[in-house]
Amino acid sequence: MNKFIRVDMTTKQVTIEEVPAKYAGLGGRALTSNFVADEVKPTCHALGKNNKIIFAPGLLSGTTAPNSGRISVGAKSPLTGTIKESNSGGSFSQKMAKAGIKALVIEGMPTDDKFYVIKMDVNGAAIEEAPEEILGGCGNYKAIEVLSAKYGEKVGIALAGPAGEHRLPTANISFKDPEGNMRSAGRGGLGAVLGSKKVKAVVIDDTGAGAVPIADPEKFRAASKVFSKALLDHPVAGQGLAAYGTDVLINILNEAGGLPANNFTSGRIEHNDNISGETLNATITERGGEGKVSHGCHPGCIIRCSQWYPDKDGKYITSGFEYETIWGLGADAGIKDLDEIAYIDRAMDDIGVDSIETAVAVATAMEGGLLPWGDGKAVLDAVKQIAVPTPLGRILGGGTAVVGKVCGLFRTPVVKDQAIPAYDPRPIKGIGLTYATTPMGADHTAGYCISGNILKVGADIDPLKKDGQIEYARAMQIGTAAVDSTGMCLFVYFGIADNPGGYQALIDMINAQYGTELTAADVDKLGESVLKVERAFNKAAGFTNAHDRLPEFFEYEPCAPHNVVWDFTPEEIDEVYNF
Amino acid sequence: MSEQVEKSIEVRGFLHLDAAFRKKHGKIPLIMDLDSPITGRELAEKLEIPWDEIEVIFVNGFVQDLDYVIHPGDRVAFLPPGCPGPYRIALGFYGKNQNNEANFRIKKK
Repeated sequence: MNKFIRVDMTTKQVTIEEVPAKYAGLGGRALTSNFVADEVKPTCHALGKNNKIIFAPGLLSGTTAPNSGRISVGAKSPLTGTIKESNSGGSFSQKMAKAGIKALVIEGMPTDDKFYVIKMDVNGAAIEEAPEEILGGCGNYKAIEVLSAKYGEKVGIALAGPAGEHRLPTANISFKDPEGNMRSAGRGGLGAVLGSKKVKAVVIDDTGAGAVPIADPEKFRAASKVFSKALLDHPVAGQGLAAYGTDVLINILNEAGGLPANNFTSGRIEHNDNISGETLNATITERGGEGKVSHGCHPGCIIRCSQWYPDKDGKYITSGFEYETIWGLGADAGIKDLDEIAYIDRAMDDIGVDSIETAVAVATAMEGGLLPWGDGKAVLDAVKQIAVPTPLGRILGGGTAVVGKVCGLFRTPVVKDQAIPAYDPRPIKGIGLTYATTPMGADHTAGYCISGNILKVGADIDPLKKDGQIEYARAMQIGTAAVDSTGMCLFVYFGIADNPGGYQALIDMINAQYGTELTAADVDKLGESVLKVERAFNKAAGFTNAHDRLPEFFEYEPCAPHNVVWDFTPEEIDEVYNF
Repeated sequence: MSEQVEKSIEVRGFLHLDAAFRKKHGKIPLIMDLDSPITGRELAEKLEIPWDEIEVIFVNGFVQDLDYVIHPGDRVAFLPPGCPGPYRIALGFYGKNQNNEANFRIKKK
């Protein structure tokens, strides 16, 4: 990957540079966050001309390493005002890497009102006017069909949906998957940044690209084999995610009393059977047709946590039907019908909004009286209004913090204005520390992947007690920042945390590809450095330790059934980033 | 709590045990009579769930190991290997699954 492409939307100039030396050893989140820290003015308006957005494949993307197809997108977030890295599956990352493109940077802002498509291939990039038919409310499913017909069925596509065109803070960036459906870089409103630069889509055509260069192919193959085995041997890959998807967590979190319900007023629901992963599996199996219990979001995925959820006649409704989406609509907003949730999920994908931010905004709107509790049909109608957008659509599209303010609520579950996802921080305290302190705003995936040599911190965790939680949250965030830089899906966690051989194999693959001699300690240092860069950007943007706090209501509203509150002191929370 | 409730337990099974429970017992949760304390391991035997299909059990919302003692009135769930995410650590799996035949480490079959 030797090309560093800059597209200036003010001048409509494309520049292809050699990769700057300081970025040569970086990929994914490490690259996007260092770049944003280097070139984006921290105090800029996220939707103004001084923000820049960067797309970067991970270090291992484009190789035969399993599950290495994540694409990282970075910018200053219009939702949080912080630095943001959001990543996604789909085929974009692998194609970009194969075409030799280390990063695509989009900067500036056109003075006209036209929307554009950036087309990349092995020779570079060009700016073209976007086809009229994909603008002005056209859904993402249709837009992908149109763009695939124009540029080729096999191209990779990154897309700002109608929400992105309207620069709403919930707007995601949707990435075409191998079948022409979507995966999303969901969090932080990066679709609005793309929309602000009048970029409707980015297309990557890797026709003519060779294989990604590998310094030591034999060593790479051997390490890749060990890594694959570590993933496939683990029961989570073999028995959990492939069969039930991430939605397997509904029953588990419900049983633990950590499933936030009715806008975070309880930790358990009674209708969990309606929306559980077990029911999802049984429904897909029973309906047949186009339904698939298991599906990979990018070539080379061997965990296959995604699925195709069909209607009663077996016709595809949605894919990548995730736990957090089903939780948000099913438990937090109280919608008891899985089909209704599936149609809302499809609508959110089609409009291009983050399904976590939007679902939590919906539940908050229910508390605020804007929508009736548990009414799936009303929610589907309201979500579709985001594409117009009507005033209600704009409010929901503004995200949870906006809804909370508009409705005059104190119970607004956000950190740094980003919605808290599907794990209640009162009975699962370690997660709460990550929500509070991650530079990203509340984000469960910011503390997802521990590194191999710090596993011991997990042995004595009691979810209701403080002991070990600071070390846990710190280690998980460091490990995650490192893995987010490799292009690996976070679900490789199971193969590297529970199997030291798997962790070493991951490092061996990087070393074999780049001819480096990295150690586990180096990988930890990389994770630490990414977090420090991100935190420094936030500090320069005006964030202080006082922003690293959960909403106050968690401190005085006990969460049933365990009836516990959030009780970490500010001084204890601040210890997470003492490294 | 009534006398009637205290002589029974609520039992659930997750992942593939969900379908197995429904097939065998017709519904979830299963309400079982229980007069005296019993370990998770003994309860699994009663329900004919192989030990190596259980990573941890939940008792009243807390993760426990198979030897944890269950009392009348308790709410119990059997969880096979396969729970994803860092919640395995955050919920306390790592301190409870070490001695189970099906721990989190590597599939043994």
